[in-house]
Amino acid sequence: MPEPPPVPGPVPAAGPAPPAIRVVLADDSVLFREGLARVLAESGFLVVGQAGDAEALHAVVGQAEPDVVVTDIRMPPTNSNDGLLAAQRIRAEHPGVGVLVLSQYVETRQAIKLLQHAPQRVGYLLKDRVSDIAEFAETLRRIARGGSAIDPDVVAQLLRHQGEDSALGELTGRERDILALIAEGRSNHAICERLFLSPKTVETHVGSIFAKLGLLPAADDHRRVLAVLMYIRSA
Amino acid sequence: MTPRRWWLAALAVAGVAWILGGEWVSIHHGVRENHLIDALGGLAFLAGGIIALDRRPGNTIGPLMIAFGLIGYLGNWGNLNVPVLPLLGVSIGQWAGAPILAQIALSYPTGRLRTTFDRVVVGLIYAAAISVIVVILLVFDPRSAGCPACAWEPAPFPSGSAFLAVTSGFQRAGAALVLLFLLAVWRRFRRATPAERWDLASLWVAVCVIALIYLLGAFASPSPLADPFAYLIWELQSLLQISLPVIFVWGLLSARLARSAVGDLVVELGRSLPPGELQASLSRTLRDPSLELLYALEGQERWVNARGQPESLPGPGAGHQARTVTVVERDGRPLAALIHDPALDQGLVRAAAAAAGMAIENERLHAEVRAQLEEVRASRQRIVEAGDRERRRVERNLHDGAQQRLATLALSLAMIRDRAGAGPAVAASLAQASAELRQAIDELRELARGIHPAILSEEGLPAAVESLADRSSLPVRVVADFDARLPEPVETAAYFVVSESLANVAKYARASRAQVELSRCNGTLRVEVRDDGIGGADPGRGSGLLGLADRVAAVRGSFRVDTSPGGGTRVLAEIPCDA
Repeated sequence: MPEPPPVPGPVPAAGPAPPAIRVVLADDSVLFREGLARVLAESGFLVVGQAGDAEALHAVVGQAEPDVVVTDIRMPPTNSNDGLLAAQRIRAEHPGVGVLVLSQYVETRQAIKLLQHAPQRVGYLLKDRVSDIAEFAETLRRIARGGSAIDPDVVAQLLRHQGEDSALGELTGRERDILALIAEGRSNHAICERLFLSPKTVETHVGSIFAKLGLLPAADDHRRVLAVLMYIRSA
Repeated sequence: MTPRRWWLAALAVAGVAWILGGEWVSIHHGVRENHLIDALGGLAFLAGGIIALDRRPGNTIGPLMIAFGLIGYLGNWGNLNVPVLPLLGVSIGQWAGAPILAQIALSYPTGRLRTTFDRVVVGLIYAAAISVIVVILLVFDPRSAGCPACAWEPAPFPSGSAFLAVTSGFQRAGAALVLLFLLAVWRRFRRATPAERWDLASLWVAVCVIALIYLLGAFASPSPLADPFAYLIWELQSLLQISLPVIFVWGLLSARLARSAVGDLVVELGRSLPPGELQASLSRTLRDPSLELLYALEGQERWVNARGQPESLPGPGAGHQARTVTVVERDGRPLAALIHDPALDQGLVRAAAAAAGMAIENERLHAEVRAQLEEVRASRQRIVEAGDRERRRVERNLHDGAQQRLATLALSLAMIRDRAGAGPAVAASLAQASAELRQAIDELRELARGIHPAILSEEGLPAAVESLADRSSLPVRVVADFDARLPEPVETAAYFVVSESLANVAKYARASRAQVELSRCNGTLRVEVRDDGIGGADPGRGSGLLGLADRVAAVRGSFRVDTSPGGGTRVLAEIPCDA
């Protein structure tokens, strides 16, 4: 079943189609990189550069002017968390470029570190999330637009033990579902689509969640991810 | 009695006869002085010299003391109206004592003059004394010295005024020589090692007395009629002189006192010493705070200290760094080595080592066992570290190999699913294959994480422990008071303590929550895992806790499990951070 073309947020009533999102890929496995490049090209992205290590990535980002970078966390030269450091550097040096970090393992601490460093235009996902092509493409677009994305595993891990003693325990089941989606970086609009709810209902739930947790209602979708994650973590 | 002792006894008898005879002559001729003090001065030196000759054969101090004691009585014998004797009395009897005393003091206790400076000083004093003696022999006039009826011929150029001028002049020049002598003694004190200074305590006292005697000499007069005050000083000099041999003999016998300290050592060793105390005992006995005791490992050319740590014997140093190595052997095999101050009497060191023989053998065995234990521990650490290296390698290979390929495969499968215009049967198969693959990737991820957690190498212990807590099936609170990196073996050991303990909590403890505390204090990492479960964990049973204890021991750490039924379980590991 072919996916319908994704709707990138509120579309201007008229005008030319938005230009394709420019992507740079970084991974030390050529095979994976090529496969991902092909998938992204077929999904309407423009892959403008590839790199096999953190150093090359910085060079390519400087030249290719991408909208978003997809990078593996573990790359040469140190095969440690080079990708994470590269992401932070790119966010600092090229504020307009979003970064999605992929990893074989997801760790809460790394996710929060990434968001704390730059609360928007960042993503942190398990590597095999790329096999859900449509979802992955949507996430990438969200980051390119200024949003953020945190792997559902991270959020699930965080939420698993929370709730008994804190205000989280006062949330209804539906509110908890919505809280998880907020923490994953999804907008109200995306939450409507995913849970088949009306925008009004979602807004009501979000307002209620923020009130129960004592958080200030966040003006934009981007900054509330970190606020919610930090809240859950400290609960 | 040995023949040598017979000779000494004969010498003693002759000496006593000479002294008492001299004193008898003095009394008979009505010499006005305190005869008791006079006789005691000579007898004390004679006795001291005989004792020194007996105890320290070959040492020149004994003969010098005897000579000093006897020469003075030439003066007494000089009262006899016999040719030459009075002349010898006022010359040699009066003046030969000072250089002998200086030689005794500066060559004490070995009887050898050590430095050129010492030899020059003693030489000068001898030269001055001989000059005075020669001049007196040339100019002495018994008539002007108060003995007009003396029956012998005067010196070649008799002159009473010249005699007085020369003697009083040389007495005053003597003050300069005394200062030179004191300088030589001061140099000796400066250069002495602490053990030497202690041994020479009697010398320092004696030197002060000698200096006092000769400084007083400038004001003394043997004649009570001419100047009562000067005569008083003369008697005081004699009294001080009696104290000198006592001081010297005490000093020479103090080596014997130290030997009786060896006796104390034997008594001390009778009680069982705590391990490592032997060195302190020997150090006390030999009065050498710098003394070290090393033990030889059986059949190996290696030395270890009491704790079993390898040490090497020092080379010959210079000055204050100079060390002497005395090797204690048994049946021709080295047992231990005493590293000590070169000033220590070798005989005394050997005596102490012999007395401590059993204790040394005992402690050597202790040290050997400790050295072996240390070797075993080090090899265990190497084995554990090799295992950890291998685990990291396997994890890296999985990450770069299988995990990467499976991720790529998942991507390809997704592409096929998206593109294929296949029928529903094929689509369903593809979906199932994707799900299976997803499952495989998850399982492989958990496997790789169990082999070696990437986050531990990437971000350190607190991050890795938080990650464990995040994935635990029960709520785990992590408290860490540091975020710094520690040596890899420490991090790995601590990580496995937490991971294994949390796994145990999840499996057996029926706990509602757990807490992990990581803290660093004084170079030690403290890892504590507590739960509120049913308790009853048995570290002796099951390989989990036992394996942890082994792992912690391999990095010199301690491991403890506190548990009581219903009271939860507490696992505590303390690991030195420099392991």
